[in-house]
Amino acid sequence: MNNETATPVLEVKHLKKVFGKNEVLKDINEQVSNGQVICLIGPSGAGKSTFLRCLNMLDQPTSGEVLFEGQDLTKLDDKQLDKTRENMGMVFQSFNLFPHKTVIENIKLAPVKVKGEDDATATATAEKLLKQVGLENKADAFPASLSGGQQQRVAIARALAMNPKVMLFDEPTSALDPEMVGEVLKVMQDLASEGMTMVVVTHEMGFARNVADKVWFMADGYIQESAEPKTFFEHPETDRAKDFLAKILEA
Amino acid sequence: MKKFAKWLFLVVTVVVTLGVTGNMNTKADSNTPATDQYLSKVKAKGELVVGTSPDFPPYEFTKNINGKSKVVGMDMEISKKVASDMGVKLVIRRMDFDSLLVALQTGKVDMVIAGMSKTPKRAKSVDFSNVYYKAGEDLVIKKSDLKTIKSYKSLAGKAIGAQTGSIQYNLVKNQATKSTLKGMDKDTDLILALQTNKIDAIALDQPTAEAYAKNTDGLVAINAHFKDEGEQGSAIAFPKGAQSLVNSANKSIAEIKAKNLIHKQYLPNAGKYLATGKSKSAKAANSMWAYKDFFIAGVGYTLMISAVSVVIGFLLGTLLALMRLSKNKIANGISVSYIEFVRGTPLMVQILFIYFGLGLVVNIPALLSGIIAVSLNSGAYVAEVIRSGISSIAVGQTEASRSLGLSRSMTMRFIILPQAMKNIWPALGNEFVSLIKESSIVSIIGVKDLIYQSRIVQADTYRGVMPLLITMILYFIMTFGLSRLMKFFEGRMTHE
Ligand SMILES: Nc1ncnc2c1ncn2[C@@H]1O[C@H](COP(=O)(O)OP(=O)(O)OP(=O)(O)O)[C@@H](O)[C@H]1O
Ligand SMILES: [Mg+2]
Repeated sequence: MNNETATPVLEVKHLKKVFGKNEVLKDINEQVSNGQVICLIGPSGAGKSTFLRCLNMLDQPTSGEVLFEGQDLTKLDDKQLDKTRENMGMVFQSFNLFPHKTVIENIKLAPVKVKGEDDATATATAEKLLKQVGLENKADAFPASLSGGQQQRVAIARALAMNPKVMLFDEPTSALDPEMVGEVLKVMQDLASEGMTMVVVTHEMGFARNVADKVWFMADGYIQESAEPKTFFEHPETDRAKDFLAKILEA
Repeated sequence: MKKFAKWLFLVVTVVVTLGVTGNMNTKADSNTPATDQYLSKVKAKGELVVGTSPDFPPYEFTKNINGKSKVVGMDMEISKKVASDMGVKLVIRRMDFDSLLVALQTGKVDMVIAGMSKTPKRAKSVDFSNVYYKAGEDLVIKKSDLKTIKSYKSLAGKAIGAQTGSIQYNLVKNQATKSTLKGMDKDTDLILALQTNKIDAIALDQPTAEAYAKNTDGLVAINAHFKDEGEQGSAIAFPKGAQSLVNSANKSIAEIKAKNLIHKQYLPNAGKYLATGKSKSAKAANSMWAYKDFFIAGVGYTLMISAVSVVIGFLLGTLLALMRLSKNKIANGISVSYIEFVRGTPLMVQILFIYFGLGLVVNIPALLSGIIAVSLNSGAYVAEVIRSGISSIAVGQTEASRSLGLSRSMTMRFIILPQAMKNIWPALGNEFVSLIKESSIVSIIGVKDLIYQSRIVQADTYRGVMPLLITMILYFIMTFGLSRLMKFFEGRMTHE
């Protein structure tokens, strides 16, 4: 799984993001190599979502560079950015399925409209992906009729339909009832073992420990620690991390 | 309708001071030799466009002749003579009395004849021909009041109606100070008000009063006994400086007087039309049916204006909403100012402004002016509907869409607008319904919508309430039917 020597898929250099006077990200320097699974953890309000959104430029960084396969995204125009985003799937805490479209239409939309795939190809891909996430019988259902776990699995399938090189997950299980968390994590775990490069913001410490190649701990605008899960959970270095882990274990 | 006069005054003042004409100060009298181009222009056109307010029998009133409403009356016969003496065709434009002088000043008509008295005040803004007819003032009252009402003095503490802006209006105001004055725009409304006891008498000039009294059951005309305030009698109005037209009209008037045509020919002719009007109103039960084409035409115009306006308004509104939501400061500023301005001014003024104001630059026909004004107005309201429809879609939808590689405009088209439409659609339906009602105001510039037609029917039949009732029912059928239709589509959309 680890091949840290290759060119990183994603790299950020001196990334800074300010909202008004609120310096959310101060100076972030990290890289993600091909096939790596990163779990980003940290206290609420630390800027994890903001960081993730800077990776695919849904938020414009205030300064610094975001390199995707060596290309600085902060220098691209709108059109080039749209092109780049095709290669970076994103899954949201609140699923964000398109409620006016059926499950299969949700999945086919981007391949057809953006990539110009023909309907038959897009349908075949969508059916294959629905099978992969265990929802082949829900193709024609509308999102509103699905459970949260099912919706999130559709959202993952929708992102995968563009055949992305990286998948970004922003707390994909936080909005779910506990009994549905497992089914979504299972899909993500399968994805990881197939070699997908993933950046996952999560509060699921079990997932981080078992699946991640690396854990990034973010607080106060910096990545405070970047370590293998075993090292991070057993020997956290900073007081900030120790504090955070203690609180998590209490809960 | 007083409000209307006020707005009209405002618009005209603005328009006129914006510099319509440079020769406002030229004094006209009938012996001045003409150096202007007005007459030659009329001759070049081959037609004399005459503005009038046909609710003033026997001067001018409408008559249903073979299913078509025609303007007839003494003034029309005079106009015919004036036009034929000039060697041109006569074209008649109907409008509210209050709009007549504005129309003259803004070049919508070449002359105005409407039993209009020559007053010094009016003579400041237009040039008058010589007086062609002078009559005393009467009061129209109910037969039952004949014993108690002898002159305006008997009406202390009671209400007297008069046409707004008319001589009689001023006479009542100045002399019948113990009575309440009710100004209305239409004589037909005044008659209706008298019949329904809203007022106790109507001050009208003698021939008009007699015509109404003769043709309306239960009404009589008596001498009002107003003190003479130096009224000059009725004259024809021309644009300021149109001496060539004044001279030509004066020649015709001189001939009319010499041959005593008014009393020998014109008034008796008018009386004939009025007489058939009477027999028509006698067959009251089915007379509304005879006017079905008028109502149908009115419904057609009203629906057409509303439908076209709602479509243009929707396109304009979408554009304005997108501009308003855009990051571009200029586009945003334009859109916000437009929306605020249009929503902050009455539709009535907008209509008048487009018709009279813009009409100075390009000549836009009334119907088109009405559609333009209503569309522009609707656009501002629809923009807000669409904007709030778009804003109501969660930002996560945009983020999800953009993260998949859809561009900003694709996101708008495939994700946001289809969802927003579910909120927008019902609001748009409401807008259509309210347009049907609000568009009724285009009748003030003479667009032949349902209101306008009902006015004609009122004037033609001497029946006040029935046409109104029918008009109301027709409006209701349109709005109710439309909202049902909208509900039906809405239901189908949520079914999906
Ligand atoms: N669009 C925005 N405008 C202004 N401030 C923002 C915006 N988005 C985020 N913030 C602020 O940035 C900070 C970090 O927010 P962010 O959502 O990135 O935190 P997070 O680590 O994802 O927290 P959580 O665990 O609660 O999701 C917060 O203080 C938030 O108020
Ligand atoms: Mg977050």
